[in-house]
Amino acid sequence: MNMQTTSRLTAAESALIDAYTGQLGELPGNGAVISARDRLVDDLKTNGLPTRRVEAWHYTDLKTLLRSVPMDAGTGSADAIEPLVAGAHVIGTRQGQIVGKPSVEGVVVGAFADMLREGTAAPGLSVIDRDDTIGKINGSFVRDGLVLEFPAGVTVEQPIEIQALHGAGQAHTRFPVSFGAGSKAVVIERHAQTGEGSAFVSSVSDISLEDGADVTWIVLQQQGADDTHLGQVRIRVGENAKLKLFVVNAGGKLVRQELRVDVAGEGAELSLRGVNLLGGDTHTDVTLVLGHNVPNTNSTEIFRNVVFDRARGVFQGMIKVALDAQKTDARMACNTLLMSDDAEFAAKPELEIFADDVQCGHGATVADIDDNHLYYLMARGIPRNHARAMLVNAFVAEIVEELEDEALVEALEGVISTWLAKHA
Amino acid sequence: MAAVQETIDQVRQIDVDQYKYGFETAIEVEKAPKGLSEEIVRFISAKKQEPEWMLEWRLDAYRRWLTMEEPTWARVDYPKIDFNDIYYYAAPKSASGPKSLDEVDPELLKTYEKLGIPLKEQEILAGVEKPRVAVDAVFDSVSVVTTFKKELAKAGVIFMSISEAVREHPELVKKYLGSVVPVTDNYYATLNSAVFTDGSFVFVPKGVRCPMELSTYFRINEKNTGQFERTLIIAEEGAYVSYLEGCTAPQRDENQLHAAVVELVALDDAEIKYSTVQNWFPGDKQGKGGIYNFVTKRGDCRGDRSKISWTQVETGSAITWKYPSCILRGDDSRGEFYSIAVSNGHQQVDSGTKMIHLGKNTSSRIISKGIAAGVSQNTYRGQVSAHRKATNARNFTQCDSLLIGDRCGAHTVPYIEAKNSSAQFEHEATTSKISEDQLFYCLQRGIPEEAAIALIVNGFVKEVIQELPMEFAVEAQKLIGISLEGSVG
Repeated sequence: MNMQTTSRLTAAESALIDAYTGQLGELPGNGAVISARDRLVDDLKTNGLPTRRVEAWHYTDLKTLLRSVPMDAGTGSADAIEPLVAGAHVIGTRQGQIVGKPSVEGVVVGAFADMLREGTAAPGLSVIDRDDTIGKINGSFVRDGLVLEFPAGVTVEQPIEIQALHGAGQAHTRFPVSFGAGSKAVVIERHAQTGEGSAFVSSVSDISLEDGADVTWIVLQQQGADDTHLGQVRIRVGENAKLKLFVVNAGGKLVRQELRVDVAGEGAELSLRGVNLLGGDTHTDVTLVLGHNVPNTNSTEIFRNVVFDRARGVFQGMIKVALDAQKTDARMACNTLLMSDDAEFAAKPELEIFADDVQCGHGATVADIDDNHLYYLMARGIPRNHARAMLVNAFVAEIVEELEDEALVEALEGVISTWLAKHA
Repeated sequence: MAAVQETIDQVRQIDVDQYKYGFETAIEVEKAPKGLSEEIVRFISAKKQEPEWMLEWRLDAYRRWLTMEEPTWARVDYPKIDFNDIYYYAAPKSASGPKSLDEVDPELLKTYEKLGIPLKEQEILAGVEKPRVAVDAVFDSVSVVTTFKKELAKAGVIFMSISEAVREHPELVKKYLGSVVPVTDNYYATLNSAVFTDGSFVFVPKGVRCPMELSTYFRINEKNTGQFERTLIIAEEGAYVSYLEGCTAPQRDENQLHAAVVELVALDDAEIKYSTVQNWFPGDKQGKGGIYNFVTKRGDCRGDRSKISWTQVETGSAITWKYPSCILRGDDSRGEFYSIAVSNGHQQVDSGTKMIHLGKNTSSRIISKGIAAGVSQNTYRGQVSAHRKATNARNFTQCDSLLIGDRCGAHTVPYIEAKNSSAQFEHEATTSKISEDQLFYCLQRGIPEEAAIALIVNGFVKEVIQELPMEFAVEAQKLIGISLEGSVG
């Protein structure tokens, strides 16, 4: 299907390949890692970036949308920021590399750069499938990241905030995280631009939940107005494990956030939520591939999008139910508010079902704010602008409130209202 | 929820080995040489006694087709088709031109009798209470007879085979042919444009409500032939027409290609209702043989307040690749799509619709029910899009799937694209069981569970069935006769 013959490379493609050649010898990695990287770059060279003819990238034609790639700024610096929730354990990367020696009590923290040098990272650099462009780019350029290992049975009370901060230039990070059996934690993966100028960022979080783990994982993307953010979260969920995955997109110029979830243990329970705040002249794509691969698992997915100005939003959500994944219960909803005449949204919620005794459904809506709701508020003396803002806020806040931790809910609501105040 | 026994039994009744229309008619035929070339295109055009412009049109399509690639995006899997191993023209020797019914080869008449298609006008007239249907019968590459032509002409309605129309109403054909599905629309549409052999032409003039249902019955009989039908329906301002299409083919080990193009044009205030009961040979239990049904169907709501509605009951074909669509160009125009697709045995269905909202205040509705059994794969693929200028576009989509057995697959691939903030799109898809509330309501009133399910489901299937014209609804119900308990709610 995805036959592409690229005779000519685009400026961005050449820049990527040049960046790789320029960094040869500098990128950490043993022989196995280097040859894995070479293969990925070769693939990029032959196949190029995906176009709309590649089904998985139908609405995000990366070849056209990615005009240029900034030069690698190497080990540039970025200022630290306040954590989302006071008292959180803050660890992280600056411009794609660990600074100092991060630690969290009760958790084994390592550096991904060490895994690259030792070669243990090599198998993980392989792509998920041929459309895994984010995996290809990240695997080619990744220098560092944090490796977290939550021992079995451990409970980390305070949230852990991973701050992936950067200024202009390129930053490529990877976060392999394993939650041991019965462990419990809240992790915030936060991407933000703290400097100026345009950045090109890729990030892959490679997460596994062992049996009975109970994890809340929040991705908060606050990139700069000129940044390209290619994020991917790969998660394997074990038996009776509970996962709450929450994605907030509130920044970036060109964003693709992929969620690749493998429900691999019976009794697993997943709740996937997303809030996408889109404004300006930006393009944001959230793509979810959720595989229910064993019997008796359930999941709910709710994504709420608000699109202002000339922004374009994309949601692709695929639920796959394998042949023997009987008694799967999966429900997905994607609701969008188009707030401007120039805003666009495309949704592709897909079901791929091979088991007969399942309950699966998806719903998608696209609409403007309900006039009746607006009228109700205005009839009570609330000015139009204010009433609209209230309704938009309510539309997304509903999702945020599902996170039970009050401090967390408040912090995210703060992020949302700050964003809305700026764009609405 | 697993399917109830009643459903399983009924699906079995229409399983692939139960195909009733698999007989072959022994009749002398005239065929074009096997394969595809400019000569063949010229041959077909000559056989149809077409004017020069038509031949040029075909040749242009053929040359463009040579440069195109077969699409591979659908969720269907089949060995590569050798387009040079097909006869592109096959006609019963006795049916070289349009004829009155008395002149038609009795063998052919017998065939249609066996298929239950009424071709004798007087017979139909005899039964007063029976609704009348005008039929265009297409046998392999030619139309053998068109009934009620005279009576329709009185009302100003033109109903004839497209080959006749090319000769008799070239100005109309020239104006509308290819105006909805452009020659290079897609691989199969382009192939069809080059080699189409027959099909129906309907023209309903301004303000006329077509006095009876129109119908075309397609029959593939000859071995190794492809059928390339072309249908063109035009409803002028304020006109109304309801058109039915049926199809069957003999049981054979080889796959046969059916690549049709159907174009509908509705001008201001016109309404076209297009119904299909597609029952091509689906292949045998082992997946051997069957028709490849690669069809492009599209309606253009060109005028304001026009309406086009597609209703399809799909039970046949080894592979179905079909997306009857509506282009809602006129303001306040409306598009509808109702579909029941049943796949069994080794059948593969990739079907759905496109609703392209271009005009203001346009609305569309999609109701699709997929039922997969055996080792079949059943995919709904649909696109709803609102153009930047399509203010107040409305769409409601519901697609439900039911799986019977654990070796089949049901898939839903909707594309929802909004470029206008006043657009309101709702999409719903399920593979879940009957609504607990409705069931509880029935049970509480003393209705046993199975009966309650049947009751609710019957009410539900009606959504699609009731869109079919009466006489077709009966056939469809016989054909399907299934409960869809997985889809209410």
